[in-house]
Amino acid sequence: MAICELKGATKTYGSGATEVHAILGIDLTIDAGEFTAFVGPSGSGKTTLLNQIGCLDSPSAGSVHIRGKATAGLSDVKLAGLRAEEIGFIFQSFNLIPVLTAAENVELAMSLAGQDGGHDAALALLAEVGLEGLGGRRPNQLSGGQQQRVAIARALVKKPSIVIADEPTANLDSDSGRAVLDLMRALNEKHGTTFLFSTHDPMVVDYARRVVTLRDGAIVSDERRGAAS
Amino acid sequence: MTLGRLALRNMLRSKRRTLLSTAAIVVGVMYLILGQAFVGGIEEGIVQAAEDGMTGHITVRVDDYPTTGLSHPVDDLLTLTPAAKALLDDDARVAAWVERTVFVATLSTGDDSLRIRAIGAGARDAEVFQRTTWTVEGRVPETAEQGALLGAGIGRMLGIGVGDRVILRTRTHAGAINALDVAVAGLVQTGNMALDGTTAWLPDALARDLVRAERPTHVGVRLKRRGQAPAFAEALRAAVGDGADVITVQEETAELLRMQQIRRNALNILVGVLLAMSALAIANTILMAAHERVREVGTLRAMGMTRRRIVALFVTEGAIMGGLAGLVGLGVGGLGAWYFSENPIDLGALMQGVDYGNIQFSAYLYTAFDPGAMVLPFVIAASTAVLASIYPALLASRLEIADAVRAE
Ligand SMILES: Nc1ncnc2c1ncn2[C@@H]1O[C@H](COP(=O)(O)OP(=O)(O)OP(=O)(O)O)[C@@H](O)[C@H]1O
Ligand SMILES: [Mg+2]
Repeated sequence: MAICELKGATKTYGSGATEVHAILGIDLTIDAGEFTAFVGPSGSGKTTLLNQIGCLDSPSAGSVHIRGKATAGLSDVKLAGLRAEEIGFIFQSFNLIPVLTAAENVELAMSLAGQDGGHDAALALLAEVGLEGLGGRRPNQLSGGQQQRVAIARALVKKPSIVIADEPTANLDSDSGRAVLDLMRALNEKHGTTFLFSTHDPMVVDYARRVVTLRDGAIVSDERRGAAS
Repeated sequence: MTLGRLALRNMLRSKRRTLLSTAAIVVGVMYLILGQAFVGGIEEGIVQAAEDGMTGHITVRVDDYPTTGLSHPVDDLLTLTPAAKALLDDDARVAAWVERTVFVATLSTGDDSLRIRAIGAGARDAEVFQRTTWTVEGRVPETAEQGALLGAGIGRMLGIGVGDRVILRTRTHAGAINALDVAVAGLVQTGNMALDGTTAWLPDALARDLVRAERPTHVGVRLKRRGQAPAFAEALRAAVGDGADVITVQEETAELLRMQQIRRNALNILVGVLLAMSALAIANTILMAAHERVREVGTLRAMGMTRRRIVALFVTEGAIMGGLAGLVGLGVGGLGAWYFSENPIDLGALMQGVDYGNIQFSAYLYTAFDPGAMVLPFVIAASTAVLASIYPALLASRLEIADAVRAE
């Protein structure tokens, strides 16, 4: 089942002589349960594409549909609602709220998603990502890998259709990066959550079951793999 | 996880900045409360001085009585109509009333002399013109005594002590000159500087004897409550007829209170400037917070927070700042207002020997402690902070999410 469909999706920055097509005429279908890597040289449009799918931005031309809903022309409240219900984010720099503890970061995501699981549910989720007993720590008291696990727990509270991770391991050493990818894939297999991530790291690409390669804002290859290790 | 908790945490992250930017609000609210309380205290002092000094709640005096300078003619005396007497005796609103003979006399010790105001009245006088602030050295003369109670200021100026003898000279009702040798039974510090330096209290019989008058010049009335004066004065006016004037304490003090309004306005302008400054400080603080937290805002938006809730988040921070600062200001100002209402500043002691002429006001500077009057300054401060945070909040809410989540 397609949970995300792009048809001729285009994002243009600037105008006239300075006009840049960050992505141009992208046709892409994402099915539920995918574990897909977006690769390509710097400036090829990976971030721009993920932003479109994540409803952080809407296309200049073409269309993006999330669960059958077009994102173009949606109001701020509608877009925010889509993000709140359907999409989880994992960021390169983790982006935890610094003044909140790990557990509170997760609780905040719960309340934004309209759940009232409370503190215990947050701690249970942190335990699931391997952070048992660290719920009371602030982000600056956690390692990068641990912070990214909190971010994963935070992204998963609402059981999103899609989790978007733009270069999730770029700020991690290779061991932590591997651990984060292992966790993401375990969750993908356990809950069927769709993960879309971009990377420059061949090791990370190896985890993917589908690899979409971009160049100059266009898809140049889209290959599916068997369950690689 | 509420917005309020997040807002509170964010403010605590930069405590010093929060404290600095809210200092102006604290001072503003404190100033407003204390200032208004002092002005209120001065107003109450003005009314109280009139009430306990020359006017009571209501004064009845002959028509066209002079109101400026030390001038108390006895050419015309007051005749109370039977209707007026009946009203004063029977109306439930009247707590006490008294006839007074007020005149100007020259008081001399042999070496020195001074023009003073003499008030002759019966024992009832103390019920109408209350003496709660009085400190008497010696004693108040008895009804039948040939003795006087002098304002302490007169005693000081002429070097008169209790037990000394003085001569009082005055014009009689008929226009002749009369003089009497009188013992000083006591000296009184009334708490009203104008009275202390100008006034002597005599037994009624002695005063009537001096001016050779069978009738009083004034009638002073005390009601159960000050607020009853205007309505009761209305009734009394109808009863006294044409020859007499009925004046309420409110009318008597209206002019002075109008001057106080000017003082209030000046205070309000000052506080308005302070609050405007604090609004800028708070706007700046929230603006800095918004700049520092671009990535956080982007993340919250990515997690599904609407623009409106981002605005609410920052405005909540402003509101907490303004609210807490307002509370501190209210606490300090309120405490000060309460303290000075219980412990008046004794201006009489501070300014002894200064001549105040005929202006009636209390020697004690105190505050009117009115918790109800403190709500408004608090509300003004809190809403100033809220208003000041709206602009930065709007800026934060309009960030491009895709850029904001990657901001440093
Ligand atoms: N806000 C913007 N304004 C103007 N041009 C932009 C903006 N964002 C991206 N671009 C341009 O769009 C193109 C695609 O950028 P994008 O960030 O999507 O690339 P990327 O594949 O994510 O690169 P990287 O691997 O370096 O992260 C680039 O040429 C970039 O300069
Ligand atoms: Mg990128």
